[in-house]
Order: sequence, then structure tokens, then C-alpha cells
Amino acid sequence: MSDFPNALPRPKGELAELEAIWKLPRGPGVLTVVNNTYIGLAYVATALLFFVLAGILALLMRLQLAVPDNTLIDQGTYNQFFTMHGTVMMFLFAVPVVEAVGILLLPQMQAARDLPFPRLSAFAFWAYLIGGLFFFGSLFFGLAPDGGWFMYPPLTGTRYSPGDNADFWLVGIGFIEISAIAGAIEIIVGILRTRAPGMTLDKMPVFAWAMLVFAGMILFAFPAVILATFLLELERAFQWPFFIPDKGGDPLLWQHLFWFFGHPEVYIIFLPAAGMVSMIVPAMTGVPLVGYRLVVVALVATAFFSFGLWVHHMFATGIPELSLAFFSAASVAVAVPSGIQVFSWIATIAAGRLRLTVPSLFVLGFLAIFVIGGLTGVMVAMVPFDLQTHDTYFIVAHLHYVLIGGMVFPVFAAIYHWTPILSARPLSERLGRWSFGLLFVGVNVTFFPMHIVGLMGMPRRVYTYPEQMGWDWPNLLSTAGAFAIAAGVLVCLVDLALNFRFTTTGSAGNVWRAGTLEWLPNEVYGTRSIPVVSSREPLWDDANLAEDVRAGRYFLPGASTGGRETLITSPIHADPQYLLQIPGPSWRSLLAAAFTAAFFLLLTVKLVVPAVACGVLAVAMIIAWLWQTDPGANHPPVDIGDDLVLPVYVTGPASHSWWAMVALLLVAASLFIALFFSYLYNWTVSPQVWPAATGQRLPVASWPAASATAFMVGSVAMAFSGQMLARAREYGDWPVRLGIACACLALAAGALIELQGHWQTGLRPAMNSYGALVYAVIAVQCQLVAVAVFMGLYTIARSAAGMLTPVRRATFDNTLLFCHYTVGQGLLGLLIVHGFPRIAG
Amino acid sequence: MPRLKIAIASVAACAIALAVGAFLFAWSGLYSVAASRGHWAVLEVILEFGMRSSVRTHAIGIDVPELDDPALVERGAGHFQGGCAPCHGAPGRSSSPIVHAMLPEPPDLAASAPSWQSEELFWIVKHGLKYTGMPAWASQERDDEVWAVVAFLRRLPQMDAAQYWTLASLDPREQDIPIRSLAQGGPVGTGLAACSRCHGLDGAGRASGAFPRLDIQTADYLFAQLQAYAAGARQSGIMQPVAAELEVAEMRRLAEYYAAQRPAPAQIPAESEDRLLAIGQTLTTAGLPNQGIPSCNSCHAQDPALHNPLYPSLAGQYAAYTAQQLALFKSGGRRDTPAAEIMSVIAERLTAEQIDAVSLYLARLRPGAVERATP
Amino acid sequence: MEAHQAVLSPGGSDAETIATLGWVMFAGGSAIFLGVIGLAVYAHLGGETLRRRLASRRLVFVGGVLFPAVTLTALLTYGLILTGARLAAPEADALRIEVTGEQWWWRVRYPATGDAPEIVTANEIRIPIGRQVEIRLASVDVIHSFWVPSLAGKVDMIPGTVNRIRLHATRTGTYRGQCAEYCGAAHALMAFYVVALEPAQFEDWLAGQRQPAAGPLTALQKQGEGLFLSTGCNGCHAIRGTPAAGTIGPDLTHVGGRLSIAAATLPNAAASFARWIRDNQHIKPNNRMPAFRILPDDQLAALAAYLESLK
Repeated sequence: MSDFPNALPRPKGELAELEAIWKLPRGPGVLTVVNNTYIGLAYVATALLFFVLAGILALLMRLQLAVPDNTLIDQGTYNQFFTMHGTVMMFLFAVPVVEAVGILLLPQMQAARDLPFPRLSAFAFWAYLIGGLFFFGSLFFGLAPDGGWFMYPPLTGTRYSPGDNADFWLVGIGFIEISAIAGAIEIIVGILRTRAPGMTLDKMPVFAWAMLVFAGMILFAFPAVILATFLLELERAFQWPFFIPDKGGDPLLWQHLFWFFGHPEVYIIFLPAAGMVSMIVPAMTGVPLVGYRLVVVALVATAFFSFGLWVHHMFATGIPELSLAFFSAASVAVAVPSGIQVFSWIATIAAGRLRLTVPSLFVLGFLAIFVIGGLTGVMVAMVPFDLQTHDTYFIVAHLHYVLIGGMVFPVFAAIYHWTPILSARPLSERLGRWSFGLLFVGVNVTFFPMHIVGLMGMPRRVYTYPEQMGWDWPNLLSTAGAFAIAAGVLVCLVDLALNFRFTTTGSAGNVWRAGTLEWLPNEVYGTRSIPVVSSREPLWDDANLAEDVRAGRYFLPGASTGGRETLITSPIHADPQYLLQIPGPSWRSLLAAAFTAAFFLLLTVKLVVPAVACGVLAVAMIIAWLWQTDPGANHPPVDIGDDLVLPVYVTGPASHSWWAMVALLLVAASLFIALFFSYLYNWTVSPQVWPAATGQRLPVASWPAASATAFMVGSVAMAFSGQMLARAREYGDWPVRLGIACACLALAAGALIELQGHWQTGLRPAMNSYGALVYAVIAVQCQLVAVAVFMGLYTIARSAAGMLTPVRRATFDNTLLFCHYTVGQGLLGLLIVHGFPRIAG
Repeated sequence: MPRLKIAIASVAACAIALAVGAFLFAWSGLYSVAASRGHWAVLEVILEFGMRSSVRTHAIGIDVPELDDPALVERGAGHFQGGCAPCHGAPGRSSSPIVHAMLPEPPDLAASAPSWQSEELFWIVKHGLKYTGMPAWASQERDDEVWAVVAFLRRLPQMDAAQYWTLASLDPREQDIPIRSLAQGGPVGTGLAACSRCHGLDGAGRASGAFPRLDIQTADYLFAQLQAYAAGARQSGIMQPVAAELEVAEMRRLAEYYAAQRPAPAQIPAESEDRLLAIGQTLTTAGLPNQGIPSCNSCHAQDPALHNPLYPSLAGQYAAYTAQQLALFKSGGRRDTPAAEIMSVIAERLTAEQIDAVSLYLARLRPGAVERATP
Repeated sequence: MEAHQAVLSPGGSDAETIATLGWVMFAGGSAIFLGVIGLAVYAHLGGETLRRRLASRRLVFVGGVLFPAVTLTALLTYGLILTGARLAAPEADALRIEVTGEQWWWRVRYPATGDAPEIVTANEIRIPIGRQVEIRLASVDVIHSFWVPSLAGKVDMIPGTVNRIRLHATRTGTYRGQCAEYCGAAHALMAFYVVALEPAQFEDWLAGQRQPAAGPLTALQKQGEGLFLSTGCNGCHAIRGTPAAGTIGPDLTHVGGRLSIAAATLPNAAASFARWIRDNQHIKPNNRMPAFRILPDDQLAALAAYLESLK
């Protein structure tokens, strides 16, 4: 077998070194762990904790609704409960749990040692845990938000919600979304750049495809709601009237922004779960997924459609009927990709022999429940029918069928399916069947009657109902079912407590005889060597693969650079490109997350001084953390086997960090587009507050011209600085630093000129919606400029510390990209703010 | 690690021995709690140090309002004479020998107040001091009253007896009151003395607006307020102790006494902006329906035919008092009586500016005159 | 009292159309569900040949693409036809009403027509059958949603915008409606009634509503009227024919003739009025009216008797 990259036997000590490098830190340092298995597992566990907590709220609500005119829970508490139940389930359970499963499983599925930014995963996890616990804790002080998980203004404006409750939602959720975006960027770069050699895009496991689509959707969907929360918080804190109709705002703007996020959110949750099912079905039937390509197309198509149907949450708002027809059609069309997946699973079951294990049962249960949810989804996509069922218990039933069927059942299937990878023994088949049975019966008994009670006229979000309505028996039934669900969850938790024994050595292994790489023998460092992949189910096609990988015959059987490392491959063909040195355990990312969380939470309760102190500490920790990245080419190229000699440091578009920066800029661009939409939207609704109607003076053209010039000078200075860096050996470091400093000054000047230009005309943000939006564009630009200046100063500091050279320039490249983007957005902003009123009034 | 274990065990044993010893000492009764004997010098130093430190730490974060307002000082003085002077003495009058025998002896505040910061005095007056006999403020809702006492204490060291009496008692002939009230046909006695110290014999309060006018109110209203104070439903560290000492019959007589006084004309506040007065007029006569604010007149009608005796008259009431009570309604500090339940709902909808405006406007109205909405 | 609030027991033409659409979709949906489950069962338990036929990309294409494309296009066309019917201009003789959502009740106005004055009432809408009714929907505070399931679908009431809904009752009867958009604390207790009457009865009712309130007859009612004017009720409530002209809360001119009080929270009876006046913050927490515990029992009874007499 001379065609293996590395020969046996492996040198002595190689394995011991690998183990030592990747081992778990001891003592309290265990908190600093960054390995994807540990972080991923803690992430999943935290998400399940929030699932249970939000579930308890649901049980309490079901008790209140069990009988008419009940007084168990008063209306104020009930309103907090349903707000928290929805918010926690969506933001603290559904999105994090799939992100967590991604972090836990993706490196294994791709035979990577870890994700490319392990500290970022750790940061995202800690921020989520701390932020989430405090957010949930607000319930115990009566401070929990009570405006519904959708937070519609004007109800959530200061006039109708004067307390801090709404701020907890806005700041808390805004913060948790940022953590989700961090995770999404990590996942995108991880999927595109750390696959095993040969795992081309069309050999990628469907779950990886689903996670890629999932993370991509987060980049485009979450910025809309982050912007919305930002605008509403500005309105609450400083009276900038974005949503107040008296001042030219519009409450519907919030709904557009929220549902532009909120609807894709449903598919963000569902697609990874469908991806899990597409992994479990082949594993349990023993044959490859039928229609792999169609399923992948379906995943992408779902993502595409999902951004075109947010208005179906707004059919009753009085939007013209003809435009509703478009969204109705789009909402119906999204059934097609879901249908493809359903029939692909059925075809796969027919192709092989489905073993009725617990994961299979959950998949079958998922199929039944999800199909019902999908069918009611088509019903409510019909505008007239939706006008009757919108905001009734019919919708409650529909969405729980879709989300529990489409997401919770697959997650339970996944828990039972993948536990043997991480645990010394698999979960109990017997308890699993009980759990499944209780959940399946419970879900149907709870939610099926809700269809009926909804059609009988019961609206959502009511804490009680009168006796004569005839809604009592379906409600009582629902309450009984809810306890069956709780029992099912409890049985699963008992099973986990009894049988889940986490281990990184000697896990139960491939008990299902599945074919994908996560079933290779995994240790704390991942797989011993990184195999070459030539099919979608490598373990089925090469019976010896597991043994050869374990023996170290494939690539990178040891730690070539003496530290943590993983293989970076090209995004489409997965050709090995370089060896990425990845950072290990650190307190820095943990403390950065803790201080960032503290900053946001203290701000919410208006403790400004401690908040600022925490903010400064958070920034300091982030700098300290970043300082250790970008190690440069500190090691000569290494031979990973088969005479493949790879560099250990790469910059520019081939590097993983460039990809992450581009992903981040996509987020910024999405946010800016959402802001531009808001500007146009409020103009169409209230042109009477725009300058043409109010006679508000615009700054003379020389103001934007000066600002634009300053921005462009910034870009030129950065470009010049880049040229000088390439020739630093001839001219030294000073021109580089000078260029960056000039760029920082120019960017800051550009932003300040724009601000002053509007201020001197007498325009103020609190005047009307026009003023608020002009200053919102400026505020968003100022944020970017502030970050760009911060990055510029950081880069200068790196240069001064001798850590910036013509070769070691990843830090500079990122700053350069960011500055160019900032300038681009700045120019576009000027064009909109100054051009639009001159053209359209 | 046997050594560590031994160390832990010894520490634990000592702790247990100490605890048992302390219990035995306390149980034996050997320690004397006699006030006549004083504290041991060392203990006294420690107690004083601990008390000062506790006050200092707990006063952190208390914001001191403006304390120079003469009305605030007057209100503080009025209460001081009734509530504080019996133990702490007052300028020109020392406290009783009984008080001298207390342990610790209540200090002469003219001498000791300057050693405290205003926020510390506030904390002491509001919360009292354990094991000293210094009581907490009778109402924990009325920080405004506590600040009045603090404002007075700040001025006390510079005060001579004459100044003090001018402030603390409206009527220099306080001694005559029992005789006069007897002449009016009933033993109003000390009750009227306590009332008139602040509200005056004629119920017109004081020009500073430190105390509300009683002469414009009905007997029913005044009686209901006294009962509410006595029962603790209306909160005031100043009024509750006074009202609690009154018999029901006495309350009724006092209420009737003041209701029978001929209302003095309104006192026009010195500075009143036209803009504020216009807002005040709108609120009084028409309300602001789109903000959910009914007109004042709809309950506090000036037309005697429509006036509900359970509601207070507002025309001619001092602006400072009306504004302060509205602020109290708004903040939830006055909502436990049936009438306050109504008013607090309305006051929550008023802005601070509207409160000022309406108080100023009402203060200018002649008591009993009719003011109607201009259509 | 029998009041319908159900999508599938329609009393108006709009609700009838939607109910039919609903039944069509339930039938179709059930068939598809059974079909999919049947296929899954066959895929697992069926004979070899059948299973081999199922195990193909063709199944995925036919079941996942072709079948939904055809059925959904048909359904969409049906839906579009229904939607198109809703786009027609209002009928010339349509009855116009304005309803404003307020936390947590409904202000109802029948605008002045010719020399007949405007009528303001609350929490109850009376309409004639067989005639189109166009209701202008507005809100003064937060978003509410106007929904009478037995008559039509819901339409939101959004501050700053005026939406319209058309009702066309075909059967006389009492229909219950409820706010369908979460609007804050007492959202659950914001309901109302629509009473569909024969046209003649409706005109009689309308004429009655145009009259000012009848004066108090008994001494008790007389006392109640006095209390209404001196206790502060008049600050928020209007009773045409008396000096009470408050506009903050519901107009009470004919409150005694309505089916319910407090937005369909309590049945209309003197005892309900008394309970509500004294204890409304327990019956409907956070509502905008203060609780008048200040009134002694005898005064409360007088006030309640007076209000109930306002037929």
C-alpha cells in the first residue's frame, strides 16, 4: 500500500506530542478550552437548558389556559411569559442549538482538526451563555420584556412601554445576534476552507451544505433585525422618530425589517435540521441519499425564496392586495423545495432497509408532523384564509408543527444519532422509544386541537378567555398534551444523565455503520491523520479507511509545526493549500465575552459608568486576544506527506482570514442596505417630512464634496500604505505607518464633515423621521469609521512592534479591506443622503 | 495532606469553642445591660466607629437635592419641634432629664449635625439607628419630608432661639391655644396646637407654601385625610404621628374647625410664565383628552353645586404643595386611599411641566370662584 | 347570549367564501397528508418491486417538483380569483362606519348623514343585513386588529394609517369580535359585538341612538345622575343631553341598551356597572379608568341604576 501519503510505522512520540498539544487545560483553566468538541458540547447543553427553561414557561402558560377565566397567572406575568417563551425559543434555543451542532460536528465531518477560529467559537459561546442567562434572569425581577417576541412599536416605544423591559429585549437580543453572526462567519469559513482533501463541494455531506446555507442566510437576515433593534433603541433613548407616525415615521417599517429577518429565521432553523435528517436517513438505511443534488438545490432554493416572503406575516396590515399576491405566490412556492426533500427521504427509505432505531423514529415522527405543518403553511399562504387565521391559535398550531416537527424532532434524532461519537456508550433504545412516544403523542395532542380552537375564533396572546366561547375542551386537551411533551423531554434528559459519558478516547464509535467522516475514530485532536476523500460516503467505499486514518497513514499524522494546526483547502475542489496554525486555550476570549456581555447588560439597566468601564476592558481583552493571531511565517513550509509541502502562512484571498473579513463586510453591507430600505420606505410613507415639503435646507454641495474627498483620500492613503509595505525593505516602516495614520485622519474627517454639514443646517434627529434617518446613516457610518480607525491604530501598533512585514501582512490586509469598504459605504451614504432629496424631494 | 487537615480541624474547634463560650456568657447574664452604667470605653469607641462607617457606606449614591428653599426649612422646623426636640432639645430649650439618662444620650443636633454630610443625615433620619433609640422615619415613602428635616438641620447650628421659634411655630401665642379652643366650645386642645404650629390657627398655612391650606377644604375631606393618616393609608412621617394621637371625635372637631374658617384670598405666586399659565388653564378647564387627562374641574369643581365633598378644593392652594402632591401621586407615593387611587392614575399621565403649570394656575384662582371652560 | 365567533360558522359573505376555501384546502391537505404517509409506509414495508420503483430520483422529481407545481398553481389561481373579487369598488349605498381601536376598547362612530347627526358609541356595532358596510379602521395608540370571524377576515388598525374593511352580513344574529393583534396588557379583554339586524330594525335602532339620553326617572336614578356629574365621570365620559361631554372614555349616552360593558367583558346589568366602577382594575387590570372605591355602597347603587337606565 505505497499509495498512502505517509508510511508506517509512525515515529515514536508523534502521537504523544499530538495529544499533549490538544489536551484539555487543567484546573480552572478548563474554562479557557477552545476545542470544538468541548465548546460545541457545552454550546448544545446550554441551548438545551434554554429549551427546558422556555418549555417550563410554556407549561405555566398551558396551566393558565387549561380552564376559562383562570386566575393562576395574572395578565402582566403572562405577557412576559409568552414574550420570553418565543424569544428564548427562537434566539436562545433554535438558532444556537443548530449553530452548536455545527461547531460540534462539522470539523469531524470534514476531518479537520478544529474550526479555523476556535477562540471566536469560544467567544460566541461565552457571550451567548452569559448574555442568555442574564436575559432570562430578567423574568425573576419582573423586568422581562412584555411586548411579544416580535416587539411591534408603538407598543414597545417609550410611551406605551416606559420601563426597562423592552430595553432588555432590544439590547439583549441585539447582543445575542452578534454572537450568532460570529458563529456563522466561523462556520462559513470552516466549511469552505477546512474540508478534507478531495471533498469537493459535490461530495460534501448534506449537513455541511445545510450549515453553509444556514450561515449564509444569517449574514443577510440578522443585520435587518440588528438594524431594527438599533433604530428602536435610538427612538426609545433619544426620541429619534423612526416608527412614530406623528413625526413621519411608520410602525410598519419595523414589521418589514423584523420579518425580513423573521421569516428567513424559520428556514435558518429548519434547514440545518433538514440537513441532519438527510444524514440520518442514509445512515439508518445503509444507502446513499437519493437525489443528493436535488436536495442541495432545494436547500439553496429555500434560502433564496425565504427572503421573498416576509410580507406574508403582514397580510392583515392593509398592504395593497395586488402586491400581496406576489408574496402569496412566493410563500406557496417555498413548498416545492421542502417537497423535494421529503420525497428524497422517502425514496432513500425505499432504496435501503430502514432500521427502526430511535433516531429513525424521530425522523419518521418529524416527517409526519412536518408535513402537516407544511400543509397548513400552504393554507395560510392564501391571503383570504390567512386573514381569518392570522394571529389565532391556528397559527400557533401551524408554527409549532413546523418548528417542533421541523426542528425539535430532528434535534432529538441528532442527539440519539450522534451521541456514540462523543460518549463511551450510546443512549438507551428503550428510554429513547419512550421519549419518542411521549413527544409524538404529546405534540399532536397539544397542538392539533389548537387548529380547531383557532378556527373557533381564539386569538393568540390572550391570558384568559370567557367560558361561553366553547374553547375550554380543546384548551384542556392542549394542556394535557403539553405535560406529555414535558414527560418526553424529561425521559430524554434522564437517558442523557444515565448514559451519556463524554469521552475523547474510546467513544462508542460507529454503531450505526454510517458512511461519513464524523464516524472515523476521533480523539481530542480530531482524526489522527486527514484522509483523502473520493466519495460522499468514504467509510462505505473503503472498509479500511478508519484503520488507516487511525494508524496515521494519511496527511498530517502529527503536529508538524509543534502547535495546533489544521489543513486549509481550496473552497471548491478542496485541494490542500496551506497549514493553518490555530490558537489554543486562552482567558482572553473568555474575558472579552464576559466584559462585552457586562457592557451590554449594564447599559440596559442604565448603569453608564460601570458599563463604559466594562466596555473598555472588553476592548482591551479583544486587543490582547487579537495580538496573538497573525503569527506570520514563523515556520518553514512543512511536508504533510506524499511530498506535499505546504506553507504555514498565507495572505490575501487565499487566506482564511480574508474570507472571514469578506463575510463580515457582507454583514455590514446587508445592514446598510436595510438602512437604505428604511430611508426609502419612510419617504414613500411620509414624503411630507422630507426637505421638498418642509423646506428643510440641505447642506450646500461643497459639504458632501469635502466629505467624499476626505473618504477617497483615506482609501488612497491606505492603498499607498499597501504599496509601501510591499517595499518596506527599501523605504522602511515609516511610510506605511504614515499612510495608515493619514487614512485614519481622512476617514474621521470625512465622517465629521458630513455630521457638521447637516448639523449647521439646523436639522436635528429628533425633529422628524427624515432627520432621524439622515443621522442614522451618519451614525452607522461613524461606527464603521470608528472601527476602521481602531483597526488602523492597531495596525500601526503592530508595525511599531515589528509584527508587520511585507510577508506577515494579514493584519494590514484586513484593515485595508475594511477601510475600502468603509469608504465605499461612506460614498454611497453621501449619494443617498444628499442626492435623493435633490432628485426625488 | 494530614497537616492541612489538622489545621482545618483546629480552626473549626476554636470557632466552635468561641461560639459555645459566647452563648454561655450570654446565658449566664453576667453582662449588664444597664443604661446607668455606660459602655466600656473601648466598646464605645468601636460602636461609634462602626455606626459612623455604616452610615457613610449606606449613604453612598444618595443624591442631595437643593436644600436652600426656605419652605423646606420651615417644613423641617415644624416637624422638628414636634418629633425631634423632645429628645434632642432645641435652641433655647434643653431636653428633659429623662432623656439625659438615655444610653446613648441623644446629641444636641446644633452641635453634632455639622459633623455629618447631608446624605448621611438623610440616611439617619430616614432609617434611624439601631440600639440607640433613634427611630426610623414613620413613612418610608416620603423622602421629600426627610429632606425637609435635613434642610432644617443644616440651618440649625446658626439659629438662635428667636429665629427657631419663628420657624417652628406659626403663632407666637402658642401657649394661648388651649384656652382659645376651649372658648370655641370643645377640648380640641393639643390637637389644634399641633395643627396650628404649621397650618396656622386660620388654616391658611404660610406664605412660603411650606404647608397646605386647610381653610379652603370641606370638613368631610379634612376628616377623611386625618383618618387616612392615622390608619397609615396616607403616608407622611409628619402627619401620621400627629393624626395617630387624635381620637375620632377630635378629628371630626378639628376638621370642622378648619372647614369653618373663612378662606383667605389666593396668594398670587411671584413669577408665573404666561405659557405655563395657559397650559395650566387648559388642564384645569378642559384637560388634554388625547393624553387621557380629564380636566381638573371634572372632579375638583369650583362650582359649589357640583363640588363633591370627598374631593379637595384646589383653587388657591399653594402651588408648591399641589405640585409636590402631584409628583407624589405620579411616583406612586400616594395611592393607598380610594381617592388617591383615582388621582394617581391621572397624575401618572402628567409631565413634570404640566404639573408645574397646573399647580401655578390653580394657586392663582380665588377659592370658591367658578371657572368654566371657554368653548 | 348566543354570539358567533367562528371561522367555519359564517354569517357574512366574506366569511362564507373563506370557509369554502378552508374546506377545500382541508380536504386537499388531508388527501396529500395521507398520500405522503402512505408512500412512506410503502417505502418501508412495501414489496420489493414497488420499493424499487419508489427508490428513484424520479419520485423526488415527480413528488417534490411536478406535483406541488401543479396543485399549488391551481390553488393560487383560485386564491387570486377570490382576491380579485375583493378589489371591487365599494357599493354606492354602502353604510359607512368608523371604528377606532384604543387600549382596550373600541370607539364606534356613525358619521353624520344629511341632517342626521353623528352617533358615537362603543364596543358594539349594529349593521343591517343584505347591505354592504364599509368600516374605516384607525388607532389612537398601538396596533390593534379588527376581527369578527363569522363575518370577515381581520384587518389591522395602525396608528397613522386608515385601513378599510367591508362586512356584508347575510344572516341576522349577534357576532362576537375580538382584537387579534397583541396590544399590551389587557389585550385578552378587548372584544366587541356586531349585531346584524333586519334593515327596518336597524333604522329604528339608528333613530333611537340619535336621541339624547332620556332623563332620570326615579329618585335613585336622579341621584345617580348627580353623582355622575360630581364624582368625575363626566371628565372622561359623555352623555348627550347632560353637561357630561368627556371624550377620553366611551360615550355612555345609550350604554344601558348595549349587550355588554367594558368591551364585552361583563354582561350589561346594574350589578356589572357597580362592580366595574368600584373594581375595574381587578376585572380588567391596567385599563385606563381609575377604580372608584371612594363611592359608598348607596352612591354606587344610584350611579349603576342611572347608567343602566340609559337605554
